[in-house]
Amino acid sequence: MRRYERPVFSLLYRMVRDRALAEDLAQETFVKVLNGIESYRPEFKFSSWIFKVANNTAIDHLRKRSVETLSLDGAPNATTPDAVAATALQIRAGGESPLEEVEARELGTAIERAIGRLRPEYRTCIVLRHVEGYSYEQIAEILDLPLGTVKTYIHRARNELRVVLEPRRT
Amino acid sequence: MKWQHDHLTPEEIELWAEGLLPAARALHLSTCEPCLTVAERERNFFLELGRIERFAPSAELAEKVIARVRIKTAVEGGNGR
Repeated sequence: MRRYERPVFSLLYRMVRDRALAEDLAQETFVKVLNGIESYRPEFKFSSWIFKVANNTAIDHLRKRSVETLSLDGAPNATTPDAVAATALQIRAGGESPLEEVEARELGTAIERAIGRLRPEYRTCIVLRHVEGYSYEQIAEILDLPLGTVKTYIHRARNELRVVLEPRRT
Repeated sequence: MKWQHDHLTPEEIELWAEGLLPAARALHLSTCEPCLTVAERERNFFLELGRIERFAPSAELAEKVIARVRIKTAVEGGNGR
């Protein structure tokens, strides 16, 4: 479980943009996985199965809450300044010099902001492809979508991200 | 050999940046400056996407899950007696 808690939490956090809620959904995901281990089919990768459970858990939640577009600046239900600050995504800087650090932080913020504006299904596809490194085929398996649909989602998501990130380069 | 003179499509550029474009087609980049420029821009975009961060949950997540599974198991075990 330790091996999967970070990627699963990361995906859920991006989906709901609320740390406490993402933790609850991660708990729910792992409880479902551990209680339903008999239903795991070995022809699928174990990690794919866990992500499938996590994605379905997040989608169920989003359907109930109708949360489509997420803010980088705090959870949708954060109503006080403290709650906004507590739930805002913290972007880690990885630059060597102070200038690189600032640039990396700005880039990270811009990417996260752009990802938060994607449709949930585009967001999941981008995270699974670019953060977790899954193949298009594995993503199709996780999300129960046709391969062509996954390719289309990723292509469209990248186009939306390009629009946001392109002006930074000019 | 016809491919050598055809510019890469946006989809092919995307595949190249992901390392998925067939080598025979990728060879075009060694002879076409405009395609190479676009391809390098695409690769930089992919490098930027590669910086997307993985967030970590709290250290207690695993313990909370195990506790919930144990409670459920205990309840079911109790009901079964």
